[in-house]
Amino acid sequence: MSRAIADDPIATGRVGGIRYVLPALAIVNLIVVLAIARLAAGDSRRQSQSADDLQAKKRQLEQQVASHADELRDSHERLRSVIESAVDGIVVIDSKGHIEAFNRGAERLFGYPALEVIGRNVSILMPSPYHEEHDGYIAGYLTSGTPHIIGIGREVTGRRRDGTSFPLHLSVGEMVIGGERKFTGVLHDLSDRVNLEKQLRSSEARWRAIIESAVDAIIVIDAHGRVEAFNPAAERLFGYREGEMRGQNVNMLMPSPYHEEHDHYLARYHATHVKKIIGIGREVIGRRKDGSTFPVHLSVGEMVLDGETRFTGILHDLTERTRIEAQLREQAALARLGEMAAVLAHEVKNPLAGIRGAIQIIGGRLPRDGKDALITQEIISRIDALNGLMKDLLLFARPPQPKPMTVDLSALVRATADLLDADPALKSIHVEMDGSAPAVRADPDLLKIVFVNLLVNGAHAMDGHGTIRVSLSAHDSTAEVTFADSGPGIPEDVRARIFTPFFTTKSRGSGLGLPTAKRLVEAHNGTISVACPPGGGTRVSVRLPAAVPVYSGPSGPPLS
Amino acid sequence: MDGSRLESLRVLVVEDELLIRWSIAETLSNAGCYVTEAGDAAGALRAAAVEHFDAVVLDYRLPDSDDLKLLETIRAQLPGSTIVLMSAFGTPEIVQRAEALGVNRFLDKPFEMEALKELLAA
Repeated sequence: MSRAIADDPIATGRVGGIRYVLPALAIVNLIVVLAIARLAAGDSRRQSQSADDLQAKKRQLEQQVASHADELRDSHERLRSVIESAVDGIVVIDSKGHIEAFNRGAERLFGYPALEVIGRNVSILMPSPYHEEHDGYIAGYLTSGTPHIIGIGREVTGRRRDGTSFPLHLSVGEMVIGGERKFTGVLHDLSDRVNLEKQLRSSEARWRAIIESAVDAIIVIDAHGRVEAFNPAAERLFGYREGEMRGQNVNMLMPSPYHEEHDHYLARYHATHVKKIIGIGREVIGRRKDGSTFPVHLSVGEMVLDGETRFTGILHDLTERTRIEAQLREQAALARLGEMAAVLAHEVKNPLAGIRGAIQIIGGRLPRDGKDALITQEIISRIDALNGLMKDLLLFARPPQPKPMTVDLSALVRATADLLDADPALKSIHVEMDGSAPAVRADPDLLKIVFVNLLVNGAHAMDGHGTIRVSLSAHDSTAEVTFADSGPGIPEDVRARIFTPFFTTKSRGSGLGLPTAKRLVEAHNGTISVACPPGGGTRVSVRLPAAVPVYSGPSGPPLS
Repeated sequence: MDGSRLESLRVLVVEDELLIRWSIAETLSNAGCYVTEAGDAAGALRAAAVEHFDAVVLDYRLPDSDDLKLLETIRAQLPGSTIVLMSAFGTPEIVQRAEALGVNRFLDKPFEMEALKELLAA
């Protein structure tokens, strides 16, 4: 409404208030006086017209003037109340920038009472640099006639009486009153809008930043399961870019059977509104771009935006947690096994020792070449086998703490291979060595057990005939020993369980060889891995941290 | 092996498992030792109180003796004797503590009887 007044030249022409209305009345009086004078002059020229007529005309005119004046006064009052009650600020200035009118809205906006600012330069309502430049603007406009703000309106900054600044919208109209150019400004406070916008902007930025920086994946889908948003964590988790995912069915992130069933889930939810996962969250399986799957915790929230249902999924990768849980479970199981093995070992080995001793003595009393003596020897060898199994179990369940020293892997492998040469079952196995590796800090007795296990496994894989190639190499700060046999290799399903204790494919075997090797290698902060190259055979690689040079005191030039 | 060094050796065998105790006693007696048998710690201490022994073959675990308590007492009672400690499951820690008590001959069960003879003769 205030804009309408400002843009209406008639209305703005009256904005000035009583100071403009009073001269107007004076003008009317002048017209009346002039008219009477003219009538009087005419009367002198045209004697025929009577003085009564003249008087009547004069009265008529006076009445008209009075009624116009009343109308004018009413109109003025109406205008005045409109201006005064306007929420917006209205300020009128003259061509020098001096304030001529200042309504209540302006008083509220700037904190000045009208009386304090009337007659002062309007620039007091502006902060620097506008404060200093405003006179120049007016002068520039008056000379060039090119409006920069007049008739247009724009956002400017106002300065309150207390010195604070605030954003406002200013529209300026121009009028000419009594030959003088005046400007009417209508000012609309933008503080609230600006604050709101600022709040909205910062709130949006904050939410965006939270979503972008979230460690957990955040995926928004529409009611049909199509992806609408896919944050960077989701990109990292699944290996898809947001651009690839947007518009795609979210079921492409799920393995079968969830992949096929997800659309039904959604349809069922829309039909029944029975929440199976929404608002709850549970552990599910995700599918990466490369096809691999992983455990993930999914919590789903439902929202209605612009009248449309959307679902927000927050996904927390459980791979690491699952791995650690499995590791903790394994550690706990191994600890229990260790305790069990210790008790078992005593309870089994003690009587074994008694049986072995007694049978040895009784066997010694039998005729040396008789069959009975031979049987006692067999009994002893069975007892030793049982004892060996107990030892293997103990070694796996309670591996000794390594006593590390600097070990040359090449020499240790060679010594181990020579050891196996003595075994008649492994007579036809050749061990070839190549490459070199840095020395490691390790317990040679324990490493020897590892190497024996790997060499024996390789020999068994080749039915006791063939060559085991042992390659030494250096990788970063680790030494690697790889045992490659030319056997049939290991099927993938077997390979997955190869380090599981008591898992064996041999008709005679404890299933503890590789698990023990793994435990012993891990006790040295090393790793062990099994691969079956397409060319055939099996490669078992042991990696151990290279020995760190030991600081043996300050070294300087020898004293002489 | 020089069997003569076992001749007339007085040996106390402390072992609760009958078959082991019998086997050791038989083996050492046949080698010319004088063997006294004890099935528990109390019996061992009674024997050591009245008799001198050149050697003691001692089980680590006995029904009436925990840990290395008996070893400690026997060591004090028979300061000059040779002691062999037998165990079905000897941890490095036990070995270390036994060594601290001056015992450095160990046998892991089961063992060859010849190995016991060698340890005693050494």
